Amino acid sequence: MFTLGIDIGSTACKAVILQDGARVEARAVVPLGTGTSGAGDVLQKVLAVKNRQIEDMERILVTGYGRFTFAGADSQKSELSCHARGVNFLFPSVRTIIDIGGQDIKAMRVNAKGFLENFVMNDKCAAGTGKFLDVMARIINVKVNDLGEIGLKATEEVNISNTCTVFAESEVISKLSAAVRIEDLVAGIHRSVAKRVASLAFRNGIVPEVAMSGGVALNKGVVALLEEEIKRNILVHEDCQLAGALGAAVLAYEELHK
Amino acid sequence: MADLPEMLAELQSVADSPKKMLAKYLAQGKKVVGCFPIYTPAELVHAAGMIPMGVWGGQVNPSVAGQYAPIFICSIMRSCLEFGMLGKYKGLSAVIMPILCDSFRGMSGAWRVGVKDIPLIALIQPQNREVDGAREFLAAEYGVVKEKLEEIAGHKISGDAIENSIAIYNSHNATLREFARAANRHLDVITPKIRHAVMKSAHFMEKAEHAAKVKDIVLKLAELPEHKWTGRKVVLTGITAEPGDLLDILAENKIAVVGDDLAQESRQFRTDIPAGQDPLDRLAGQWLSRSACSVVHEKTSARPDLVIKLAKENRADGVIICLMSFCDVEEYEYPLLAKTTAQAGLPSVCIDIDQSTENSGQARTKLQTFVEML
Repeated sequence: MFTLGIDIGSTACKAVILQDGARVEARAVVPLGTGTSGAGDVLQKVLAVKNRQIEDMERILVTGYGRFTFAGADSQKSELSCHARGVNFLFPSVRTIIDIGGQDIKAMRVNAKGFLENFVMNDKCAAGTGKFLDVMARIINVKVNDLGEIGLKATEEVNISNTCTVFAESEVISKLSAAVRIEDLVAGIHRSVAKRVASLAFRNGIVPEVAMSGGVALNKGVVALLEEEIKRNILVHEDCQLAGALGAAVLAYEELHK
Repeated sequence: MADLPEMLAELQSVADSPKKMLAKYLAQGKKVVGCFPIYTPAELVHAAGMIPMGVWGGQVNPSVAGQYAPIFICSIMRSCLEFGMLGKYKGLSAVIMPILCDSFRGMSGAWRVGVKDIPLIALIQPQNREVDGAREFLAAEYGVVKEKLEEIAGHKISGDAIENSIAIYNSHNATLREFARAANRHLDVITPKIRHAVMKSAHFMEKAEHAAKVKDIVLKLAELPEHKWTGRKVVLTGITAEPGDLLDILAENKIAVVGDDLAQESRQFRTDIPAGQDPLDRLAGQWLSRSACSVVHEKTSARPDLVIKLAKENRADGVIICLMSFCDVEEYEYPLLAKTTAQAGLPSVCIDIDQSTENSGQARTKLQTFVEML
């Protein structure tokens, strides 16, 4: 039996096909967010991995910002519930999840079954989100996916004092004018993100073990500095970006077996 | 007596369009005095034969208020200033502003400069309420407010008139508390939005008139069979729970409001004016009796315990903390509130309340997640 989870995020769409609620059959990521062709594209892409048909899916559960508008879904859940279940699937020992998505940050505490016990989200502000990193990468003229490796080569972090994305953008431009090393500047940007995210995580309470999900978890520079800020190791799974879609597929399976 | 939907729709309309009420009272030849949040001696306005009308701002992205108010000030203050500067409050004879927090301190000056055609009557409630003289000081402050209102009304305000208004206000408080209890037996009819409308409309109507309408609603509710609510139940705490879209999201997620500790709603009705010999002293006594509110200084905040009690008494599944953006007093209380409710086994979620934006995407996600978590 196959269940399909689709996470229609603000900047990317992710999909996972789960077999019998226990084995990942296929996974796909499309770097297009809600309101674009991303949702349809990721559906085709994930089905194509093992040449499956939509009819093969017993249940489809959708999450993420586009969860209300995806035609063909059997049900929808919030992305926090899905990330919690997805990370629990990948790391059953995790009790604190930090998810940095395209436009928001979430800190979640979960129990042994992956059910949410508490959560906090950022307010209406892009500070510390994936969008913040997108903006900074564009100014520095590097690919956002390369930021992690670049930041790890820093020898001296440049302090970015503004948390506001727009003001931080101005600050980064002024640092570029002062000819600072790009690696040091990127490390400073990562520190800014880490501080912002850590304050949110502290607000929710941190219980070990800690894992990160969402696309920004792939940025090793942010993860390393966040570990420093919260003074704990952070687990990152190679499927971290797919945690929401995976959790959606798990929940779809559970809905069939209620 | 009209039917229940009609009665509720009327108060919804009042809550949605206070400007219509202002126009109505002005057309009746009455003077109207604006009352800023949260605690204003509206009884004195009432005793003067004028209409006290709540000034709670509204959803607006301010364009002119920025001349005098920074963007990081409480959004109610900014929207009130915006509406004042744009002439939306035209018709008010004056506004009364209690200087309850630092934002108000700046706002009083901003209002005087930015809204020259509506005079400001400012007053200060003593925060150190345990010292000798606090009560006398506040009674004297109210005396000054009374004199200014007498100038506007064109006549003296008698002690008997104040006593009469106090009786009307205390009776109104009791009626609203009765409504809150009745609402919990009919959560299918009294949706979060309707509950809010009944409470909020009190700010824009003469109190005896409002109390009569709410009494009729309570009577009509009593005729209905008690409803067994199968969704989730929550208690709201904060300054306000607006805009209406937010309350619609609650209903969409089958969340009923079974109690509130909102400054705009139940905090207005839970503390009666105590008995006494002198009416101004009685009004001062009400301030000294207030508790469990972020703008009222207490050595140990009683608010978490009150919220927990409210939730347990009404069998709420959780608490929604409606955190007003840039309200420092509320921000400071949030950690204690979240921690204490969690220790009491009550899950909570914090929703950002901001009058300067109508984007409810994050609130929708938070509330859906909260329901999934309960």
